[in-house]
Amino acid sequence: MSESGLSLERRIAALRGWLHEWAHGLYHGMVEHPAFEKIEKEAEDVEDEFLFACFADAFGIPSPVSYYTVELLPYLAEEFEQFERRMWDRESLLERKGQQYHFH
Amino acid sequence: MSKFVFFGGKGGVGKTTVSSAYGLKCANAGLDTLVVSTDPAHSTSDVFDQQFGDEPAPVEGHDHLWAMEIDPDEEVQAHMQEIKRRMGDQVSPAIVSEIDRQIELAHQTPGAYEAALFDRFIEVMRSADDYDRVVFDTSPTGGTLRLLSLPDFLDQWIERLIDKRTQSIDLFEKAAIGEQEARKKVADDPIIAHLRERKEKFEFAAHTLESDAEFYLVLNPDELSIRETERAIAQLTDYGLAVDGLVLNRMTPAPDDDEDGRGARYLRDRVRTERERLDRIRETFDEPLVAVIETRVEEVRGALLADVAAELDIDVAAEPATQ
Repeated sequence: MSESGLSLERRIAALRGWLHEWAHGLYHGMVEHPAFEKIEKEAEDVEDEFLFACFADAFGIPSPVSYYTVELLPYLAEEFEQFERRMWDRESLLERKGQQYHFH
Repeated sequence: MSKFVFFGGKGGVGKTTVSSAYGLKCANAGLDTLVVSTDPAHSTSDVFDQQFGDEPAPVEGHDHLWAMEIDPDEEVQAHMQEIKRRMGDQVSPAIVSEIDRQIELAHQTPGAYEAALFDRFIEVMRSADDYDRVVFDTSPTGGTLRLLSLPDFLDQWIERLIDKRTQSIDLFEKAAIGEQEARKKVADDPIIAHLRERKEKFEFAAHTLESDAEFYLVLNPDELSIRETERAIAQLTDYGLAVDGLVLNRMTPAPDDDEDGRGARYLRDRVRTERERLDRIRETFDEPLVAVIETRVEEVRGALLADVAAELDIDVAAEPATQ
Protein backbone atom coordinates (compact mmCIF):
# COMPACT_ATOMS: atom_id res chain seq x y z
CA MET A 1 0.00 0.00 0.00
CA SER A 2 2.61 2.43 1.09
CA GLU A 3 4.86 1.16 -1.70
CA SER A 4 2.34 1.83 -4.46
CA GLY A 5 1.68 5.28 -2.88
CA LEU A 6 5.36 6.04 -3.13
CA SER A 7 5.54 4.90 -6.73
CA LEU A 8 2.49 6.97 -7.60
CA GLU A 9 4.19 10.02 -6.11
CA ARG A 10 7.30 9.19 -8.06
CA ARG A 11 5.30 8.78 -11.25
CA ILE A 12 3.59 12.12 -10.71
CA ALA A 13 6.95 13.76 -10.10
CA ALA A 14 8.36 12.20 -13.27
CA LEU A 15 5.31 13.33 -15.21
CA ARG A 16 5.68 16.87 -13.86
CA GLY A 17 9.34 16.85 -14.75
CA TRP A 18 8.58 15.69 -18.28
CA LEU A 19 5.77 18.22 -18.63
CA HIS A 20 8.05 21.01 -17.43
CA GLU A 21 10.79 20.06 -19.83
CA TRP A 22 8.29 19.77 -22.67
CA ALA A 23 6.65 23.09 -21.89
CA HIS A 24 10.02 24.77 -21.63
CA GLY A 25 11.01 23.23 -24.92
CA LEU A 26 7.83 24.49 -26.52
CA TYR A 27 8.36 27.94 -25.01
CA HIS A 28 11.98 27.95 -26.04
CA GLY A 29 11.20 26.86 -29.58
CA MET A 30 8.23 29.16 -30.17
CA VAL A 31 9.08 32.24 -28.14
CA GLU A 32 12.51 32.32 -26.59
CA HIS A 33 14.67 31.12 -29.42
CA PRO A 34 13.10 33.20 -32.22
CA ALA A 35 13.25 36.25 -29.99
CA PHE A 36 16.89 35.75 -29.13
CA GLU A 37 17.64 34.87 -32.69
CA LYS A 38 16.18 38.20 -33.74
CA ILE A 39 18.29 40.03 -31.20
CA GLU A 40 21.38 38.15 -32.33
CA LYS A 41 20.66 39.00 -35.97
CA GLU A 42 20.22 42.61 -34.98
CA ALA A 43 23.51 42.44 -33.09
CA GLU A 44 25.20 41.08 -36.19
CA ASP A 45 23.68 43.86 -38.31
CA VAL A 46 24.96 46.52 -35.94
CA GLU A 47 28.33 44.82 -35.94
CA ASP A 48 28.34 44.93 -39.72
CA GLU A 49 27.64 48.65 -39.59
CA PHE A 50 30.54 49.06 -37.20
CA LEU A 51 32.88 47.04 -39.39
CA PHE A 52 31.75 48.93 -42.46
CA ALA A 53 32.41 52.27 -40.78
CA CYS A 54 35.87 50.98 -39.87
CA PHE A 55 36.84 49.37 -43.15
CA ALA A 56 34.86 51.08 -45.88
CA ASP A 57 38.01 51.24 -47.99
CA ALA A 58 37.82 47.46 -48.41
CA PHE A 59 34.88 48.22 -50.71
CA GLY A 60 36.55 51.04 -52.55
CA ILE A 61 35.20 53.86 -50.41
CA PRO A 62 38.11 55.94 -49.17
CA SER A 63 37.92 56.61 -45.46
CA PRO A 64 39.93 59.19 -43.55
CA VAL A 65 40.12 56.98 -40.50
CA SER A 66 41.16 53.71 -42.12
CA TYR A 67 44.77 54.31 -41.11
CA TYR A 68 43.66 54.30 -37.49
CA THR A 69 40.95 51.66 -37.62
CA VAL A 70 43.28 49.15 -39.25
CA GLU A 71 44.94 49.04 -35.83
CA LEU A 72 41.85 47.15 -34.68
CA LEU A 73 42.28 44.36 -37.21
CA PRO A 74 44.41 42.08 -35.03
CA TYR A 75 41.44 41.83 -32.65
CA LEU A 76 38.86 41.69 -35.40
CA ALA A 77 40.53 39.43 -37.93
CA GLU A 78 37.98 36.63 -37.88
CA GLU A 79 34.98 38.92 -37.70
CA PHE A 80 36.42 40.98 -40.53
CA GLU A 81 36.89 37.97 -42.74
CA GLN A 82 33.31 36.79 -42.18
CA PHE A 83 32.03 40.34 -42.57
CA GLU A 84 33.79 40.79 -45.88
CA ARG A 85 32.28 37.58 -47.20
CA ARG A 86 28.84 38.52 -45.87
CA MET A 87 29.01 41.94 -47.50
CA TRP A 88 30.00 40.60 -50.87
CA ASP A 89 27.37 37.85 -50.70
CA ARG A 90 24.51 39.78 -49.22
CA GLU A 91 21.63 39.91 -51.67
CA SER A 92 19.24 42.43 -50.23
CA LEU A 93 18.08 43.82 -46.95
CA LEU A 94 14.71 42.10 -47.51
CA GLU A 95 16.41 38.76 -47.92
CA ARG A 96 18.44 39.31 -44.77
CA LYS A 97 15.47 40.45 -42.68
CA GLY A 98 13.28 37.69 -44.15
CA GLN A 99 15.58 34.96 -42.86
CA GLN A 100 14.14 35.19 -39.37
CA TYR A 101 10.70 33.93 -40.52
CA HIS A 102 12.16 30.65 -41.78
CA PHE A 103 10.00 30.42 -44.89
CA HIS A 104 12.37 28.02 -46.57
CA MET B 1 53.76 83.20 -26.96
CA SER B 2 52.60 79.63 -27.36
CA LYS B 3 54.78 76.61 -26.78
CA PHE B 4 54.12 75.01 -30.16
CA VAL B 5 54.82 76.99 -33.31
CA PHE B 6 53.98 75.70 -36.79
CA PHE B 7 55.39 76.98 -40.07
CA GLY B 8 53.49 76.04 -43.21
CA GLY B 9 53.45 76.98 -46.87
CA LYS B 10 53.87 75.32 -50.22
CA GLY B 11 57.01 73.48 -51.25
CA GLY B 12 60.16 75.53 -51.82
CA VAL B 13 59.11 78.78 -50.15
CA GLY B 14 61.69 78.36 -47.43
CA LYS B 15 59.81 76.87 -44.51
CA THR B 16 62.82 74.94 -43.30
CA THR B 17 65.03 78.03 -43.35
CA VAL B 18 62.46 80.11 -41.52
CA SER B 19 61.67 77.46 -38.91
CA SER B 20 65.35 76.74 -38.29
CA ALA B 21 66.06 80.46 -37.99
CA TYR B 22 63.18 80.91 -35.59
CA GLY B 23 64.36 77.91 -33.58
CA LEU B 24 67.81 79.45 -33.37
CA LYS B 25 66.35 82.78 -32.32
CA CYS B 26 64.45 81.10 -29.48
CA ALA B 27 67.53 79.13 -28.43
CA ASN B 28 69.66 82.28 -28.43
CA ALA B 29 67.07 83.88 -26.16
CA GLY B 30 67.73 81.08 -23.70
CA LEU B 31 64.70 78.90 -24.45
CA ASP B 32 65.23 75.16 -24.75
CA THR B 33 63.99 74.70 -28.28
CA LEU B 34 63.27 71.68 -30.43
CA VAL B 35 62.96 72.00 -34.22
CA VAL B 36 60.89 69.23 -35.79
CA SER B 37 61.27 68.78 -39.52
CA THR B 38 58.99 66.67 -41.67
CA ASP B 39 60.11 67.69 -45.10
CA PRO B 40 62.26 64.97 -46.62
CA ALA B 41 63.40 67.20 -49.51
CA HIS B 42 65.16 70.08 -47.83
CA SER B 43 65.79 69.40 -44.21
CA THR B 44 67.26 70.73 -41.02
CA SER B 45 70.17 68.36 -41.63
CA ASP B 46 71.24 70.61 -44.54
CA VAL B 47 70.72 73.82 -42.61
CA PHE B 48 72.78 72.78 -39.59
CA ASP B 49 75.13 70.56 -41.58
CA GLN B 50 74.48 67.69 -39.22
CA GLN B 51 72.47 64.48 -39.59
CA PHE B 52 69.33 64.27 -37.50
CA GLY B 53 67.18 61.27 -36.93
CA ASP B 54 63.88 60.25 -35.47
CA GLU B 55 64.82 61.29 -31.92
CA PRO B 56 65.74 64.82 -30.76
CA ALA B 57 69.50 65.42 -30.82
CA PRO B 58 71.41 68.51 -29.67
CA VAL B 59 72.49 70.81 -32.49
CA GLU B 60 76.27 71.14 -32.42
CA GLY B 61 77.61 74.60 -31.77
CA HIS B 62 74.32 75.93 -30.36
CA ASP B 63 73.17 75.84 -26.78
CA HIS B 64 69.50 75.18 -25.99
CA LEU B 65 68.83 73.88 -29.50
CA TRP B 66 67.70 70.39 -30.49
CA ALA B 67 66.45 69.03 -33.79
CA MET B 68 64.75 65.93 -35.14
CA GLU B 69 63.53 64.73 -38.51
CA ILE B 70 60.40 62.73 -39.09
CA ASP B 71 60.19 60.67 -42.25
CA PRO B 72 56.48 60.09 -42.96
CA ASP B 73 57.18 57.14 -45.26
CA GLU B 74 59.14 55.42 -42.55
CA GLU B 75 56.38 56.15 -40.05
CA VAL B 76 53.79 54.55 -42.32
CA GLN B 77 55.99 51.47 -42.77
CA ALA B 78 56.64 51.17 -39.04
CA HIS B 79 52.94 51.46 -38.29
CA MET B 80 52.17 48.71 -40.80
CA GLN B 81 54.89 46.40 -39.47
CA GLU B 82 53.64 46.86 -35.93
CA ILE B 83 50.09 45.87 -36.89
CA LYS B 84 51.32 42.87 -38.85
CA ARG B 85 53.42 41.80 -35.89
CA ARG B 86 50.41 41.93 -33.59
CA MET B 87 48.43 40.01 -36.22
CA GLY B 88 50.97 37.23 -36.09
CA ASP B 89 50.62 37.04 -32.32
CA GLN B 90 46.86 36.89 -32.19
CA VAL B 91 45.47 35.54 -35.41
CA SER B 92 45.56 32.06 -36.90
CA PRO B 93 47.90 31.85 -39.90
CA ALA B 94 44.99 30.72 -42.10
CA ILE B 95 43.43 34.18 -42.32
CA VAL B 96 46.54 36.30 -41.86
CA SER B 97 47.15 36.58 -45.58
CA GLU B 98 43.58 37.64 -46.22
CA ILE B 99 43.83 40.35 -43.58
CA ASP B 100 47.32 41.39 -44.73
CA ARG B 101 45.77 42.66 -47.92
CA GLN B 102 43.47 44.94 -45.98
CA ILE B 103 46.34 46.23 -43.84
CA GLU B 104 48.41 47.09 -46.88
CA LEU B 105 45.44 48.76 -48.53
CA ALA B 106 44.87 50.99 -45.53
CA HIS B 107 48.50 52.09 -45.60
CA GLN B 108 48.30 53.07 -49.25
CA THR B 109 45.30 55.35 -48.92
CA PRO B 110 46.02 59.03 -49.59
CA GLY B 111 45.51 59.95 -45.97
CA ALA B 112 48.02 57.47 -44.56
CA TYR B 113 50.95 59.86 -44.94
CA GLU B 114 49.15 62.62 -43.07
CA ALA B 115 47.81 60.31 -40.43
CA ALA B 116 51.27 58.92 -39.71
CA LEU B 117 52.71 62.41 -39.49
CA PHE B 118 49.91 63.58 -37.27
CA ASP B 119 50.43 60.61 -34.95
CA ARG B 120 54.06 61.52 -34.58
CA PHE B 121 53.21 65.19 -33.97
CA ILE B 122 50.95 64.16 -31.12
CA GLU B 123 53.72 62.00 -29.68
CA VAL B 124 56.21 64.87 -29.88
CA MET B 125 53.74 67.29 -28.30
CA ARG B 126 53.00 64.81 -25.53
CA SER B 127 56.62 64.28 -24.62
CA ALA B 128 57.74 67.90 -24.96
CA ASP B 129 58.04 68.62 -21.24
CA ASP B 130 61.79 69.17 -21.55
CA TYR B 131 61.40 72.03 -24.03
CA ASP B 132 60.18 75.58 -23.72
CA ARG B 133 59.38 75.79 -27.39
CA VAL B 134 58.78 73.28 -30.17
CA VAL B 135 58.95 74.51 -33.77
CA PHE B 136 57.28 72.38 -36.45
CA ASP B 137 58.48 72.64 -40.01
CA THR B 138 55.52 71.03 -41.76
CA SER B 139 55.80 69.12 -45.00
CA PRO B 140 54.66 70.82 -48.18
CA THR B 141 51.65 68.66 -49.00
CA GLY B 142 48.35 70.46 -48.74
CA GLY B 143 47.29 67.68 -46.44
CA THR B 144 49.45 68.96 -43.64
CA LEU B 145 47.12 71.86 -43.13
CA ARG B 146 44.16 69.57 -43.13
CA LEU B 147 45.91 67.44 -40.62
CA LEU B 148 45.74 70.16 -38.04
CA SER B 149 41.97 70.23 -38.39
CA LEU B 150 41.68 66.49 -37.99
CA PRO B 151 41.43 66.07 -34.21
CA ASP B 152 37.87 67.32 -33.90
CA PHE B 153 36.74 65.38 -36.88
CA LEU B 154 38.48 62.16 -35.86
CA ASP B 155 37.27 62.56 -32.33
CA GLN B 156 33.65 62.62 -33.45
CA TRP B 157 34.20 59.69 -35.75
CA ILE B 158 35.77 57.57 -33.03
CA GLU B 159 32.96 58.54 -30.69
CA ARG B 160 30.46 57.14 -33.19
CA LEU B 161 32.48 53.96 -33.61
CA ILE B 162 32.53 53.42 -29.84
CA ASP B 163 28.74 53.92 -29.74
CA LYS B 164 28.15 51.39 -32.49
CA ARG B 165 30.46 48.85 -30.95
CA THR B 166 28.84 49.25 -27.52
CA GLN B 167 25.42 48.87 -29.07
CA SER B 168 26.32 45.68 -30.89
CA ILE B 169 27.96 44.13 -27.82
CA ASP B 170 24.96 45.09 -25.73
CA LEU B 171 22.75 43.22 -28.18
CA PHE B 172 25.04 40.20 -28.08
CA GLU B 173 24.74 40.22 -24.29
CA LYS B 174 20.97 40.32 -24.51
CA ALA B 175 20.97 37.51 -27.04
CA ALA B 176 22.81 35.19 -24.66
CA ILE B 177 20.09 32.80 -23.47
CA GLY B 178 19.89 32.00 -19.78
CA GLU B 179 23.11 30.69 -18.34
CA GLN B 180 24.85 30.76 -21.71
CA GLU B 181 27.91 33.01 -21.92
CA ALA B 182 27.50 36.11 -24.08
CA ARG B 183 29.62 36.08 -27.24
CA LYS B 184 31.06 39.48 -26.35
CA LYS B 185 31.10 41.77 -23.36
CA VAL B 186 31.56 45.53 -23.10
CA ALA B 187 33.79 45.42 -20.03
CA ASP B 188 36.60 43.44 -21.58
CA ASP B 189 36.32 44.45 -25.21
CA PRO B 190 39.79 45.29 -26.54
CA ILE B 191 38.26 47.24 -29.44
CA ILE B 192 36.50 49.72 -27.20
CA ALA B 193 39.63 50.04 -25.06
CA HIS B 194 41.74 50.74 -28.13
CA LEU B 195 39.26 53.28 -29.53
CA ARG B 196 39.11 55.07 -26.19
CA GLU B 197 42.89 55.35 -26.14
CA ARG B 198 42.80 56.86 -29.64
CA LYS B 199 40.08 59.27 -28.65
CA GLU B 200 42.14 60.48 -25.72
CA LYS B 201 45.09 61.20 -28.02
CA PHE B 202 42.92 63.22 -30.41
CA GLU B 203 41.34 65.15 -27.58
CA PHE B 204 44.79 66.02 -26.31
CA ALA B 205 45.83 67.18 -29.80
CA ALA B 206 42.68 69.26 -30.32
CA HIS B 207 43.11 70.91 -26.96
CA THR B 208 46.82 71.64 -27.43
CA LEU B 209 46.41 73.01 -30.96
CA GLU B 210 43.64 75.27 -29.77
CA SER B 211 45.20 76.59 -26.60
CA ASP B 212 48.97 76.38 -26.96
CA ALA B 213 49.90 76.62 -30.64
CA GLU B 214 50.57 79.31 -33.22
CA PHE B 215 50.58 79.08 -37.01
CA TYR B 216 52.68 81.01 -39.46
CA LEU B 217 52.62 80.76 -43.22
CA VAL B 218 55.73 81.34 -45.29
CA LEU B 219 55.28 82.80 -48.78
CA ASN B 220 57.34 84.27 -51.63
CA PRO B 221 56.70 87.52 -53.48
CA ASP B 222 55.09 85.89 -56.52
CA GLU B 223 51.48 85.64 -57.64
CA LEU B 224 51.21 81.89 -57.25
CA SER B 225 52.52 81.92 -53.73
CA ILE B 226 50.25 84.79 -52.70
CA ARG B 227 47.16 83.07 -54.09
CA GLU B 228 48.20 79.80 -52.48
CA THR B 229 48.50 81.57 -49.15
CA GLU B 230 45.07 83.18 -49.52
CA ARG B 231 43.63 79.73 -50.09
CA ALA B 232 45.52 78.22 -47.16
CA ILE B 233 44.27 80.94 -44.81
CA ALA B 234 40.68 80.45 -45.99
CA GLN B 235 41.04 76.72 -45.42
CA LEU B 236 42.54 77.07 -41.98
CA THR B 237 39.82 79.53 -41.02
CA ASP B 238 37.26 76.98 -42.18
CA TYR B 239 38.88 74.47 -39.87
CA GLY B 240 38.71 76.93 -37.03
CA LEU B 241 42.44 77.66 -36.85
CA ALA B 242 43.71 81.23 -36.99
CA VAL B 243 46.94 82.13 -38.79
CA ASP B 244 49.04 84.29 -36.49
CA GLY B 245 51.30 85.81 -39.09
CA LEU B 246 52.98 85.70 -42.48
CA VAL B 247 56.66 85.46 -43.35
CA LEU B 248 57.63 86.84 -46.75
CA ASN B 249 60.77 85.08 -47.90
CA ARG B 250 63.03 85.40 -50.98
CA MET B 251 62.74 89.13 -51.60
CA THR B 252 65.12 90.24 -54.35
CA PRO B 253 67.86 92.57 -53.08
CA ALA B 254 68.10 95.94 -54.86
CA PRO B 255 71.26 96.83 -56.79
CA ASP B 256 73.36 99.79 -55.72
CA ASP B 257 72.21 103.16 -57.12
CA ASP B 258 75.30 103.73 -59.28
CA GLU B 259 74.88 100.42 -61.10
CA ASP B 260 73.14 100.56 -64.46
CA GLY B 261 74.02 97.38 -66.31
CA ARG B 262 71.51 94.96 -67.78
CA GLY B 263 71.57 92.91 -64.57
CA ALA B 264 71.01 95.96 -62.40
CA ARG B 265 68.06 97.14 -64.56
CA TYR B 266 66.52 93.67 -64.35
CA LEU B 267 66.93 93.62 -60.58
CA ARG B 268 65.46 97.10 -60.26
CA ASP B 269 62.38 96.01 -62.26
CA ARG B 270 62.01 92.98 -60.14
CA VAL B 271 62.41 94.82 -56.91
CA ARG B 272 59.70 97.27 -58.05
CA THR B 273 57.18 94.50 -58.77
CA GLU B 274 58.00 92.78 -55.53
CA ARG B 275 57.53 96.05 -53.62
CA GLU B 276 54.04 96.33 -55.16
CA ARG B 277 53.28 92.81 -54.09
CA LEU B 278 54.64 93.48 -50.63
CA ASP B 279 52.33 96.50 -50.31
CA ARG B 280 49.43 94.42 -51.55
CA ILE B 281 50.16 91.72 -49.00
CA ARG B 282 50.24 94.33 -46.24
CA GLU B 283 46.91 95.75 -47.45
CA THR B 284 44.90 92.68 -48.30
CA PHE B 285 45.87 90.23 -45.60
CA ASP B 286 44.48 90.62 -42.11
CA GLU B 287 47.37 88.63 -40.70
CA PRO B 288 50.46 90.64 -39.70
CA LEU B 289 53.57 90.34 -41.82
CA VAL B 290 56.11 89.32 -39.21
CA ALA B 291 59.19 89.17 -41.42
CA VAL B 292 60.44 90.16 -44.86
CA ILE B 293 63.55 88.20 -45.74
CA GLU B 294 65.88 88.86 -48.66
CA THR B 295 67.20 86.15 -50.91
CA ARG B 296 70.69 85.01 -50.02
CA VAL B 297 73.23 84.11 -52.64
CA GLU B 298 73.99 80.86 -50.92
CA GLU B 299 71.90 78.27 -49.15
CA VAL B 300 71.01 79.62 -45.74
CA ARG B 301 73.08 77.77 -43.20
CA GLY B 302 75.64 78.43 -40.51
CA ALA B 303 76.26 82.12 -39.85
CA LEU B 304 73.66 83.20 -42.45
CA LEU B 305 71.01 81.54 -40.33
CA ALA B 306 71.69 83.93 -37.47
CA ASP B 307 71.19 86.87 -39.87
CA VAL B 308 67.85 85.49 -40.97
CA ALA B 309 66.92 84.84 -37.37
CA ALA B 310 67.54 88.50 -36.59
CA GLU B 311 65.11 89.50 -39.35
CA LEU B 312 62.27 87.49 -37.87
CA ASP B 313 59.95 89.69 -35.92
CA ILE B 314 58.20 86.88 -34.14
CA ASP B 315 58.09 87.14 -30.42
CA VAL B 316 60.16 84.58 -28.58
CA ALA B 317 59.31 85.63 -25.06
CA ALA B 318 58.22 82.84 -22.81
CA GLU B 319 59.11 81.76 -19.33
CA PRO B 320 62.19 79.57 -19.57
CA ALA B 321 61.64 76.31 -17.71
CA THR B 322 64.68 76.95 -15.56
CA GLN B 323 63.19 80.04 -13.92
